[in-house]
Formats: sequence, structure tokens, C-alpha cells
Amino acid sequence: MTHLLSLHDVSKIFAQSKHEVRAVDEVSLDVDEGECLAVVGESGSGKSTLANMILGIYPPSIGTISFRGEVLPGKRELAHRRAIQLVQQNPLSSLNPQRSIGASLRLPLDVHGLGERSQRSDRVGQLLEEVGLPADYAGRSPASLSGGQRQRVAIARALACESDLVVLDEPTSALDVLVQARVLKLLNDLRRKRGLTYVFITHDLSVVRNIADRVAVFERGRLVELNPTGKVFSDPDHAYTRRLIGAVPVVTAEEVRLRNHLMKKENVSA
Amino acid sequence: MTAPTLLIRDLYLAFRGWAGQIDVLHGISLHINKGERVALVGESGSGKSVTARIILGLLQQTRSARVSGLVAFEGRALAKLTEAERHRLRGNRISMIFQDPMSSLNPVYRIGEQFHEVLKRAEPRIAPAAAREKAAAALADVAIPDPNRALDSYAFQLSGGMNQRVMIAMALANEPSLLIADEPGTALDVTVQAQTLELMRDLVAKHHTSVLFISHNLGVVREFADRVYVIYKGRIVEHGRTADLFADPRHPYTRALLAAVPRITGEGVPEIDDVSEDYFQPLVVHEGCAEPEVTG
Repeated sequence: MTHLLSLHDVSKIFAQSKHEVRAVDEVSLDVDEGECLAVVGESGSGKSTLANMILGIYPPSIGTISFRGEVLPGKRELAHRRAIQLVQQNPLSSLNPQRSIGASLRLPLDVHGLGERSQRSDRVGQLLEEVGLPADYAGRSPASLSGGQRQRVAIARALACESDLVVLDEPTSALDVLVQARVLKLLNDLRRKRGLTYVFITHDLSVVRNIADRVAVFERGRLVELNPTGKVFSDPDHAYTRRLIGAVPVVTAEEVRLRNHLMKKENVSA
Repeated sequence: MTAPTLLIRDLYLAFRGWAGQIDVLHGISLHINKGERVALVGESGSGKSVTARIILGLLQQTRSARVSGLVAFEGRALAKLTEAERHRLRGNRISMIFQDPMSSLNPVYRIGEQFHEVLKRAEPRIAPAAAREKAAAALADVAIPDPNRALDSYAFQLSGGMNQRVMIAMALANEPSLLIADEPGTALDVTVQAQTLELMRDLVAKHHTSVLFISHNLGVVREFADRVYVIYKGRIVEHGRTADLFADPRHPYTRALLAAVPRITGEGVPEIDDVSEDYFQPLVVHEGCAEPEVTG
């Protein structure tokens, strides 16, 4: 069976004046159709560089990325750019403030020539409804929406292309906790309904626990652990994973027990 | 009984703009006793940060702001102080730590020079050499490995975690009686955030500093605060000791807020309303947490 997305020994090296930085260091991983793979790590761990390579913003320095078994070229074809979409952290900066919501959602339809021209404005309305917004929001500007609503628009834009893989880069970390819960719910529902595949980049492990099927843990550009979510949160392989989970601020006594349990193992292995 | 470090009673705030008057705080009351760590938790727009600005006496200077109610610091009403007296409190008896250390440190001055400025708030004639010695000691207190090198650096040469520690050292350098911490560490990685909080906790305990801890992160609040006020749209909705409030949240809004936090034990993503009439239900105060009498 071919994987939806495969990375083979991918490295990204940024040349600085005196030395080089290996932002991503010999990473191999596969993403299967329909799964949600979380990519976690601290700042500087290389998770955003990885996302940028998957999206084709820049090619890997070494190694290859394949999509449905086909090696992706450094410069992507339109079809591949359509198939892999991005939702960014801050919808206020990722949506054009000068453009109405409707125009932002219509642009990908026009670029990729999706559907009949005459039906595209109806399609925009459907997309808005799919993310839980009224269809008449098409005429509004991003500034007139709340943070959660704007993020829904950004999600609708990624869906507009009929994409297969959505890279979510910290999609809820700028949102309040109540709004975050609703956006996560929406992402879960959309994945089930449309059979989408997510690469979910975040540093928030408590979100990961509740949305991801598998977790890839990055430390300084290296993939140090790749396991099913349940395993990562009950019996992680790597000490770094344990440290990360141990530092998560938690709200219930059961969570504290789990954290203490993991940290105790950390001390034994140290 | 000595007066609480901070006492706020029936604080109202409104902004007058072209669209009429917008009410921001609808009469909030809170207090912080000496050496106590009190959290004010709520979502964005709930009125947390404006409360901090009022305590510092900054919003009162804004012409469009209408402030009423009592804010007393160590038994003295801020409104009765002169502007000069209020100015003397800031950075000296009351200090503040902001969310983003990178933007609260000046990028064109070295840390050492900025530290000197801070120390001059308490001791205007302090000599540069003495200031440097004090600053180095303060940086050593926040576990910065090579204080002298840090003092010679610019903010952009240090990591986010280091800068946050510098901010903490500066805020505590003059031994304030009240520290206001506005979302400290939210811009940091979880491991660094945990270290920063632990450090701050130890330091304020050592100096008996009272802390107003402003945050939207319930997990962080649970680990840091002794008492918690939950604020929703400019109203305090629940108040109690941290352990009680987390074990038995009674207000519908607090319950929703707590339920919405994803658990590392994995309970899935909960179904929660982000707006509800119930969230406007009256204040719930836990046992033994009444507001003190206003004296004088």
C-alpha cells in the first residue's frame, strides 16, 4: 500500500555565514490517508521547516518527499499545490484584510478552475456553511469577524481546493479555550466527513492527545519518537517526550497523576 | 489586622468613543493579602489587562476612559494620591511583568543599562558600579548562568526564556510589595514556561511579594495561584481557593472553561457553547473567601 505522503531521509540545511544549521536532520516518516499526524516539539525543533517542505515552499536540501507514491519536484505543479493546503496560526494575518471573505474563498476556486464559473459563488456559500458560518458572511471583511470565525474561514479556504492533505500550523493556539474546543471539534468532524488527512503542527500536547492518531516528536531537527498517541502518552520511548509531557500545565488530579507517573520513569531511566 | 496589599471594590470602567459609551468593567471587587498569589483568569476581552493598567494608574490618564470605584494599595486609595506619588509607586512598590519579554525590553540598550534605570526608581543616586553589582546578583537569583555576560548583551542576543528571566529579575529588583504578572510565559515553550513559573514562585515566596497573576491558561493558574477570581465580560463570576475552585467549579462559565481545556489523559474534544446566557449568572463565592471590609 502506498502512503499518502512519504518523507525519505529529508534534511534541510540553512547555510549561515560561518556555519550551517540543520533545521531538519535526516527525517523519514509516512502519513497515511485519513490519519491525523501531530508534529510536536519546542521552538527551533524544525517543525515549521518540515511543514514548509511538505507544502513545497522550499525543497529539502537532501532527501525526497513523495505524494501518493510520486516524488514531488522542487517546484510544484498546480495539481500538487491544490492537493496540499495550509491553515496558519493567525487568521488575522493569513486572510487579506482588503478582501471580502467571499473573495478570499473564491480565489482558490478560480485559480484551480474548480466547478462551473456560474456556480462558484454558491460554492462559497456552501463552504461557509460547512465550517459552521452563515452563507451571507461572504460579503463581510475579516476585520468584522471574531478570531474563531476567522479561523473557520481559513479552514474553509483550505477545503475549497478539495485538498487531500491539510497542514495545520498551530491552528488553535491564538484562540481562547472555549473557541479552541469548538474549532477542534470542527476539524475532527471535517476529517471524518471528507476523509481528510492532517499534519497537525503544535507545541500544545494536551490538544495533540485529543486529536491525533500518531505523534511525531522533534528535538533540534531530529525525529526522536514516532508512535501512536495512546502509547506516547502512557509509555513514551524517549526521555525528551516525557519531559515535554511533564511540563504541560494541567487542570485535573488524574492528569497530575499521569504526569508524575511519567516523570518518575524519567528519573529511573536517567 | 493590616490592610491587604491590594483592595479593589466596585471598580467600573467605560470607554467613551464615537459610538457612545462602552462598558468594560461592571463593578469588580478583589483583594490580595500580603504574600498571596492571586490569579485573575478569563478570556481575551474579559477585562483582565485593563484591571492591571488601572492598578498601575495608567488608564486613569487616558482621556476616553471613565474609571470609578476604589483601588487601594496598602490601605491608601490610589485616587487620593497625587500623580507624583502614584508615579513613585510604579516600578518600585508595584511592578509588572508583561507577556512578551522581547517587546518589553528596549532593543537599543544593553540589559545592564536598562537594569540601572530600574534600580534608579528605588535609589535615584545609585552609582553605575553599585547598580551593576546589584543587577548581577538579581540575575544570579533567577538562575542566569553568566550574569555579567547577560548584562553586556542586548535583548535580541538572549533567548526568550532568558529575556523572561531578566524581566522577572528587573520586576523584583526593587523588592516591590505587589507584582502584576500579565500572561507571563505564554510566549515560551512549555518546558521553559514551567521553569520560569517555578522560579517566579520561589522568588515571590522568598520576598513575601503579593502577586496578581493574569492569565487565560487554567493549567498555569492551578499551578501558581493560591486563590482564583474568574472574570467574564467585565464581571467576576467565581472566586475561591485554587484547590476548591478546581475540584468543585460552581459557576456555569467556570465549568465551561474548565471542561474546554483538553486533557492529557485524553477525554476527547468536548461539546461546549462559547456563548450562553448562563455565563451571566451572579457571582459564586466559595466558603471563606469573602471580600474584606473597607476600612478608613
